Amino acid sequence: MGDTVIKVKGVSKKFCRRLRHSMMYGTLDVARGMLGMGARTDELRPNEFWAVDDISFELKRGETLGLIGPNGSGKSTLLRLLNGIYQPDKGRIEIRGRVGALIAVGAGFHPLMTGRENIYLNGTILGMTRSEIDRKFDAIVDFADIGEFLDAPVKTYSSGMYVRLGFAVAIHCDPDILLVDEVLAVGDFNFRRKCYDKIGEIRKTGASIILVTHAMHHLTAITSRAMLLVHGQEKHCGDVTSAVDMYRRLSTNIAISDDIEKVLSSTEKLTVHDVGFYPSRKLHPGDDLTISIEYEAREDIHEVECHVAILRKGDCEFYFVGSNRSVNQSLFFPRGKGNFEITLKSIPINNGAAELTIILWEKGRIRVLFWWRNILLSFGQAIDSTGENYIKVSYGTKVLPG
Amino acid sequence: MNNTGTGRVIVYEPNQRVRMGFAESWIIMLRGIIGARELIWQLFKRDFFANYKQSYLGVVWIFIAPVVGIISWVFLNAAGVLVPGDVGVPYPVYVLLGSSIWGLFLSFYANTAKSLKDYSGLILQINFPHEALVVKQVAQTVAEFLINLALIIAVLIVFKVVPSWGIVFFPLAVIPLMFVGAGIGMVVAVITAVAHDVDKAVAALLGFLMYLTPVIYSPDQKSELIRTVVYWNPLAYLVGGARDLILYGEIVSPAGYTVSVLLSMMFFLFTWRLFFLSEHKVAERL
Repeated sequence: MGDTVIKVKGVSKKFCRRLRHSMMYGTLDVARGMLGMGARTDELRPNEFWAVDDISFELKRGETLGLIGPNGSGKSTLLRLLNGIYQPDKGRIEIRGRVGALIAVGAGFHPLMTGRENIYLNGTILGMTRSEIDRKFDAIVDFADIGEFLDAPVKTYSSGMYVRLGFAVAIHCDPDILLVDEVLAVGDFNFRRKCYDKIGEIRKTGASIILVTHAMHHLTAITSRAMLLVHGQEKHCGDVTSAVDMYRRLSTNIAISDDIEKVLSSTEKLTVHDVGFYPSRKLHPGDDLTISIEYEAREDIHEVECHVAILRKGDCEFYFVGSNRSVNQSLFFPRGKGNFEITLKSIPINNGAAELTIILWEKGRIRVLFWWRNILLSFGQAIDSTGENYIKVSYGTKVLPG
Repeated sequence: MNNTGTGRVIVYEPNQRVRMGFAESWIIMLRGIIGARELIWQLFKRDFFANYKQSYLGVVWIFIAPVVGIISWVFLNAAGVLVPGDVGVPYPVYVLLGSSIWGLFLSFYANTAKSLKDYSGLILQINFPHEALVVKQVAQTVAEFLINLALIIAVLIVFKVVPSWGIVFFPLAVIPLMFVGAGIGMVVAVITAVAHDVDKAVAALLGFLMYLTPVIYSPDQKSELIRTVVYWNPLAYLVGGARDLILYGEIVSPAGYTVSVLLSMMFFLFTWRLFFLSEHKVAERL
């Protein structure tokens, strides 16, 4: 194997969509295993799908690989396969060296045991010996930064402290190969910075790292290569920039079909006949969007509140939330048919898909009059941009004479 | 996860374990258990002591359940409800010993059977030899029984029954019960991790089995049916043998006992193999 620490060849893993089938197949596989026949792993049975589909790659000592892809694309499953938690259904994995996994932190913590006791428990679970933990104890406590809570039961910890302690133990197990699954997303800014420093240190010792992340700037900062997974299949494996680029395009090119969730279109007071989007729902960074709502009010409606939010596609992060109240504008719908317009000016979202939500409330937000959500918007890419949060700034430099 | 030295190559492939021979699978599992000594101890500490931390009485609870059990049997005896047959010692002593030994067997089963299901979180997060969980559960069963045993000896003394010198061999007599209990438990553990009702079904079955074993009655029964059942029931010899050691200092039916012990050993090695072959298919169904 030489310098190669991970060798993955044609690895696949299947899962089952339905619980009933899963139980049945599980019982069958277990029974076949017990009878020494081995489970039939190479073909799909009804309701099964390939969660990881024919993946091959190699990782050398000191290399860092990023795994990206939409939710449910098989990233975590792949990590679990590499960690030996799941057995592959096809293919072969070869691993050389001690594997450390930051898949979920604080595994096996007992809430009634103190931080000190849990460090020993968790460390042992992660494969450290007692003397090893003794040796690293101070470093772990220092890293976790839990102060006098060390001898308090962990159930008294804040969730941040709990995660910090778990992470501190896990990251001190000196692995040759480190598998990291999204855990860096937790903790406050200071702690995240410490984690990156520590990962950098681990890299310097020559360890290899596989990192699953949704945060693209982590990728470019840490990894030398990236793999894009979609529906369990490898779409790209190579330089980070083109992987990230492909991933972006993937999420932007979502066809805008009418899967708008029309939670509420009509009440006894108000009916909305049509909602229009101008110029369209395919936009470019910096474009204006006008939403035109055609309504019919059955009585005068005073002080309507209109909320509009733009969320990032696939997670719950807001790009923008606004209402007429925040700009001190009062809305009045007179009885009868009418038209109502909302304009969002120069939306700076770059290279991504977003979801728009519109809610109309009665005065004082006592009742919802209208609510549509999951209205897909797509934003193209600005020229010369590399990141999602790309904004245009005017930039100038000047050297002043001394 | 880290039971691997640097330089050794670990390979994961489909149906890897099925291709391994019987001896190889036992050796791998033994090695896994030895490598996981510290883990077993830490988990044992966690589950044995930590569970009693947030309670007023704490570890005293370990004594309370058996005491209540003893009282109920003595009560039934005093009320004359049970006609146990001639057992040569005060009935409460006899039934207490019998039911404790049976209880030990049941706990070996029940604790082993839940070893995978109860630790699904751990199994899904970390790669470690799962047989460590089985050992930990067995160790916990033994620890609880030791406390129980101290109580039993106290009762013996109250009833002026001096335990026979055979009691020193009692720990040995417990091993075959562990073989059978944990053996059934390991098979059930794997299946129950996939389908959650299997352990309950087996527990119900074992509850019935107790009445086919001379636990609360003497093996000397007039009924031909019961005598036949007891004769062919290996558990009757294993439970009876352990009890005989304490009460009479000898095993009353040595031939049947020896055969049963051998059977239990074979059964254990076989189920251990079954566990090894199938438990790694469990993680994905948890």
